Amino acid sequence: MRLSALLRLAAPPKLPKGYRHGTWRPGTAAERLRNPPGQRRKKIFVEPISREDWKVFRGDTVQVLTGKDAGKQGMVTQVVRARNWVVVEGLNTHYRYVNRDAKYSSTYIASEAPLLLNQISLVDPEDRKPTEVDWRYTEEGERVRVSLRTGRIIPLPLWQRRDGIVPEQWIDGPKDTSVDDALDKTYTPSLKTFEEEIMDAMGIVETRRAKKSYWY
Amino acid sequence: MAAARAIAALGRRLAGSLRLSGARPGLMAAGLPGLTLNPCHKNLAQAEPLCHARFLHATLPQKGLEEFFDDPKNWGEKTVKSGDAWNIKQLRAKSSQDLHKLWYVLLKEKNMLLTLEQESKRQQKPMPSPERLEKVQKSMKNIDLVVREREIALRLLQTGHEKPVPGEWRNDFLGRTYWYSYKEWPIPWYLNKKYQKRKFYYLPHVNRFIRLRLEKKLRLRNRRQNLEKKKRKLLEKKFPHLAVKSQSQ
Repeated sequence: MRLSALLRLAAPPKLPKGYRHGTWRPGTAAERLRNPPGQRRKKIFVEPISREDWKVFRGDTVQVLTGKDAGKQGMVTQVVRARNWVVVEGLNTHYRYVNRDAKYSSTYIASEAPLLLNQISLVDPEDRKPTEVDWRYTEEGERVRVSLRTGRIIPLPLWQRRDGIVPEQWIDGPKDTSVDDALDKTYTPSLKTFEEEIMDAMGIVETRRAKKSYWY
Repeated sequence: MAAARAIAALGRRLAGSLRLSGARPGLMAAGLPGLTLNPCHKNLAQAEPLCHARFLHATLPQKGLEEFFDDPKNWGEKTVKSGDAWNIKQLRAKSSQDLHKLWYVLLKEKNMLLTLEQESKRQQKPMPSPERLEKVQKSMKNIDLVVREREIALRLLQTGHEKPVPGEWRNDFLGRTYWYSYKEWPIPWYLNKKYQKRKFYYLPHVNRFIRLRLEKKLRLRNRRQNLEKKKRKLLEKKFPHLAVKSQSQ
């Protein structure tokens, strides 16, 4: 198949023009219920922050500056970059009923509301006080977040995979290649094309001659 | 490096050594609870002994059709554990023979997963672990990219051209300029009636329309630029610090 067609298949479907992002992942049933196709909502203005300038990640500890839970610290569970939103675990909560059934009267749970970036501040790891943070480069050349007040580096939170697999604890299944086999380097660069190398390896000899063709 | 090895420790797909031992006692549960295989009428008479004789290889498994189905241990499971997809960095280190073999292994796995997907749609049940299909497709796409990269590198070295097919800029009968890539023909251009009918030139009366098209393009470009300026102004009004930042820059 042509490369461009392959890439188009792999790319996720584009969101509509006036799409309003919520805390739900596009593709889930909840999102489809709240954002049906053809829905047009008022435009929400979001301060544009470039990909490189983004400082808060899932798993970071942040302090809430305004609102009901001002002054409390918590871990970020969800980040919605399209709306500059951050959802902190257990903070800025309101209460609602979920899982209502024909037979079951629903459960009363606390659900967190998202906070904007200017209502949030990253926390210095040793001080445990809120600081302004900037991206700087170390002497090794690594890009790190540095607290402007103290000068300490704020390490990036441990990146966990979305499917919950921890690479250190993985045991290979019957269809999985072992680590050594996968990382084994068998490639030797040569001036033969892929097809020629395969033909040599399989002992295929092409004795047919192509008929004269014209390119224009 | 340790992180890379840890990530690599997830394992990949290499199902070359999968073999089904013994016969299937019945034509039941190929990957889904309640699934029955439907052999075609020709094989029905031969498939009959399957139900009675447990340790006889029947027609179906002998022909290699068992490769369209998962390991019988996974039949009826809700989820099947699977490793990560092949990374492009790992594939770049593999020889052509390895890539060739891996392609066919992945193809057979994809066929098995697609059969499973279709059967789960037919039975209106959820497919166990559909992410396996995405991983296989991603690995196959990466193999294709690696082979293409190597081909382009070799062609650049030998000819200096990146594109496999030569071409040139040509005008069409509407005055538009476009990249025409050459096609392979069995006869030369002066004998090709179909090719002669195509017009790669435009007559003088088209000049007016070229001008109109240019005007339209410029109008659209100006409208787009004005819209961007307006949006930026509106954003600066809503977020005043952006205006200050742009002024300082």
